[in-house]
Amino acid sequence: MPSVSQSIRVKVLFFGRLKEIAGRAHESIDLAPEADIESLFARYASRYPELQQYRSSLVASCNQEFVPWNTVLHAGDEVAFLPPVSGG
Amino acid sequence: MAAPSTDITKLVLEPIDPLALAAYVRGNGDGAMVIFDGFVRDHSKNRRTLYLKYEAYEPMALAKIQEIAAHLHNQFPIHRVAMVHRLGRLEIGETSVYIAVSAAHRAAAFDACRYAIDTLKCTVPIWKKEYFEDGSVWADGELPSAPSATSAVKPAS
Repeated sequence: MPSVSQSIRVKVLFFGRLKEIAGRAHESIDLAPEADIESLFARYASRYPELQQYRSSLVASCNQEFVPWNTVLHAGDEVAFLPPVSGG
Repeated sequence: MAAPSTDITKLVLEPIDPLALAAYVRGNGDGAMVIFDGFVRDHSKNRRTLYLKYEAYEPMALAKIQEIAAHLHNQFPIHRVAMVHRLGRLEIGETSVYIAVSAAHRAAAFDACRYAIDTLKCTVPIWKKEYFEDGSVWADGELPSAPSATSAVKPAS
């Protein structure tokens, strides 16, 4: 684990079935500097193995914009893993 | 161009009032208004639906709806737009999404309204859960397209 002084804190949001799997709507998590969204997801997939099967059917957002999975995170970012949308 | 402040873009928990929105959107300079009223169907894939629950990534969903409204004004010669989506529990027959577009002429209103609902359904982070007598499921949806990976891809560890 990185020490507190070296880590960045981001907010992670869960929706739909991901919220049910994670058992929460959001949490803050400390990451190593230069961590990207893919590595953040991998961390959750190791904590909640059921998540892994959904990886290919998710899109990532950072600060409320759709972004590539290799987006590097910064302190204070708000990240979400979004299932296929079904509004309307 | 941002959507004119005269547009209505909202996420609501309470029932949608279609008549009030339609009355607001149509103006004396318009000759047409096209409305899309999406409401809760009583069945899904041969199962009887009891009710639906909608949830959203609310600030992002509202921003995406406002982007769609702004795009309509850029692309089509229209007057006013209302785009309202309801969240929470909805019963059979209740309106979940209501879109109204007014214009001087019908073609622009039809085209803009069609574009608005089609784009909403594949880009706005809202999710629907269907409740049946014997269980519930998250509805199949559309995966929004995200920008592709940038060149600075880091190999997965």
